[in-house]
Amino acid sequence: MKQDGKLAYGFLLPASIIILGTVFYPIVKTFIYSLQRYKLTQPENKKFIGFQNYIEIFKSQDFQYAFFNTIIIMAVVIFIGFIFSIITAVILNSKIKISSLLTAAAVIPWALPPVVNGIVWKFIFYSDFGFMNKILFKLSLIQEPVKWLDGRYGTLLIIGLTVAWRVIPFCAVVFLANMQSIPKEIYEAAEVDGANEIKKFFNITMPLLMPSAAIVLTNLTMSGINVFDEIVALVGFRNLGQPLLIYNYTQTFSYMNFGYGSAVTYIIMIASGFFGYFYIRSLNKGGGAV
Amino acid sequence: MKKKYLAMVTVLVLILSIGLTGCGSSKSSKSLNGQEITFMIPEWGVPSKEMLDEFNKETGVKVTVETVSWDDIHDKVSVAGAGKKSPADVIEVDWSWVGEFTSAGWLSPVTLTQDDIKDMPSISSFTVGDKIYGIPYANDFRIGYYNTDIYQNAGLKEPNTWDDVTAQMKTIKDKGLMKYPFTLPLTAGEGTTTSLLWLTYLRDGKVFNDDNTLNKENVMKSLNFINSAVKGGLINPANASVKDVDAYRQLSNGEAAFMVGPTSYVGKVNDAANSKVVGKVQPIIPPGATGKASQTMALVEGIGVTAYSQHKEAAEAFVKWYTSKTMQTKMYDAQQAIPTRTAVLSDLINNGKIKNSGAMLETSKLIKSPFPTGVPKYYTEMSSAIFNAVNKMALGQITPEQAFDEMNTKITALAKGSK
Repeated sequence: MKQDGKLAYGFLLPASIIILGTVFYPIVKTFIYSLQRYKLTQPENKKFIGFQNYIEIFKSQDFQYAFFNTIIIMAVVIFIGFIFSIITAVILNSKIKISSLLTAAAVIPWALPPVVNGIVWKFIFYSDFGFMNKILFKLSLIQEPVKWLDGRYGTLLIIGLTVAWRVIPFCAVVFLANMQSIPKEIYEAAEVDGANEIKKFFNITMPLLMPSAAIVLTNLTMSGINVFDEIVALVGFRNLGQPLLIYNYTQTFSYMNFGYGSAVTYIIMIASGFFGYFYIRSLNKGGGAV
Repeated sequence: MKKKYLAMVTVLVLILSIGLTGCGSSKSSKSLNGQEITFMIPEWGVPSKEMLDEFNKETGVKVTVETVSWDDIHDKVSVAGAGKKSPADVIEVDWSWVGEFTSAGWLSPVTLTQDDIKDMPSISSFTVGDKIYGIPYANDFRIGYYNTDIYQNAGLKEPNTWDDVTAQMKTIKDKGLMKYPFTLPLTAGEGTTTSLLWLTYLRDGKVFNDDNTLNKENVMKSLNFINSAVKGGLINPANASVKDVDAYRQLSNGEAAFMVGPTSYVGKVNDAANSKVVGKVQPIIPPGATGKASQTMALVEGIGVTAYSQHKEAAEAFVKWYTSKTMQTKMYDAQQAIPTRTAVLSDLINNGKIKNSGAMLETSKLIKSPFPTGVPKYYTEMSSAIFNAVNKMALGQITPEQAFDEMNTKITALAKGSK
């Protein structure tokens, strides 16, 4: 038995070393950087400053602006993503001839690289005469092009829409798998009791989708927080409508402010972890398992 | 006896002096001979193998070229510098990096003769105090361009002042000759920052106060000019979303009648493969406040010796060779790199190699730096503050006054924090 135990540890050792080196070491090192004034172009000023970076971050108007932008994007992604994931899953769950074709088509946005996704939506919402403006112009709904990406909230809405479009396929597949595992007998019993489709959906399908709702909401939240490539493709690194990850990138890699940037990274990590924990805990309390 | 003795001493002294001289010269050639250095440069600055062999033959120094993209060089130098190492012995040094790199102690000063310094007006961008930290190799200064056809049809002559530009753009637009006759980068990027800087500098000669804060009077004039041009429909509103190169390309696409832009357009407007205005655009001295501008801004690229190089002498020899008159002529032939030496530029224009140069040579002599104390080490953050504020103003999100306040607040804090 002892020999088996030693052998097991021996097999685990290489993977442990790799995980320690590539995951835990960077996490710890980033935290150490976050406690320093550390700008690459001012190496003579590098010193330990405790939590001063964190205090500066929370006081910074640019950070607060980026934080609220991220919240708005997240809200848009969750709202559009959740509703359309369920709708897509319901459509894919219906037994029609082209179900498999629809499933394949639904997965396309998921397969696209985020940068390509951003470029596609940029063409659609281009301020001059993008695709959307052309359609609205042809339908005589507008006389002048709408400047979709010229304002803060317009930009955030389109970013949210772009991200939601990308993550809906995965979320729809998760819901679909859950839907297909719901026993048919429950629906049959409900039909016998006189329930129509709408009642069946809200009283049977939705409650039984709660376990997968946790996964979907977590995925939508993480996607909303971690959006980067789409934004760079849509509007670049500008301040207007800038969310947290772009703010973090600018501070760390444009300004070479590794100390400050590391502190922003930690705040984003903690915020992401908080949302994930909150969702799973509240859904476990309310939804229960199937 | 005396004569023989004297003759022997003379011969002995001669032999000794020849021997010592020989030792001295062989010592200096031996000190470089056999050394190997690395040269990190973007693709447009890569010398040919023949050029490098020539250098090797002259000095005995072997050069290994590492072709790296412009953006990546900055990151590589910063990361290596933080570890007190250098990614190469000789590196590309963009004018905007000089402040950062010199304050971090990552560049080694080079010595140049006064003649060389006079021959390269853009050396001012690489001078900090009385030391030179890089030598410019690829010129790019701001020069005016106007479409002679459009101007003729509108009954106009080339502009001398920025008030002329405003009036002429309105005339061209009102006559229906062009929808957006003026072009200027307005997107959230570096091109917009340099646009505000050169616009202010060319017109008023002063962008920054002596304490490196923005000169409010002059910068506000530029912001109001840009705002009026956008609101008056003289500039394409899409310029606030497109890249700066696309904004400049409107000239060669025949979509703009006037711009102040890069020197590379002297050639591009007459490139039949890519230009719709061949033979129709004239380079001119840019306009100023009351007449033609008496200064222009250079956005040059240079090369420098890294502070942690183990072969500084060889590296400096290479830097001087690479930016010599002969090499600048060859690099123009090979890469169309506009020379930074006035003498070379003059030769290329006189020999007809640079066609349709217009006022290019005259304008090159007006190059000066708008930074009173050199490019600041916080240039990247300052640039970000400027282009974001101008972009927001161009998008109609804020007024010119708000744009000034926004950038001035950040720049003042940066200037104070750097002391």
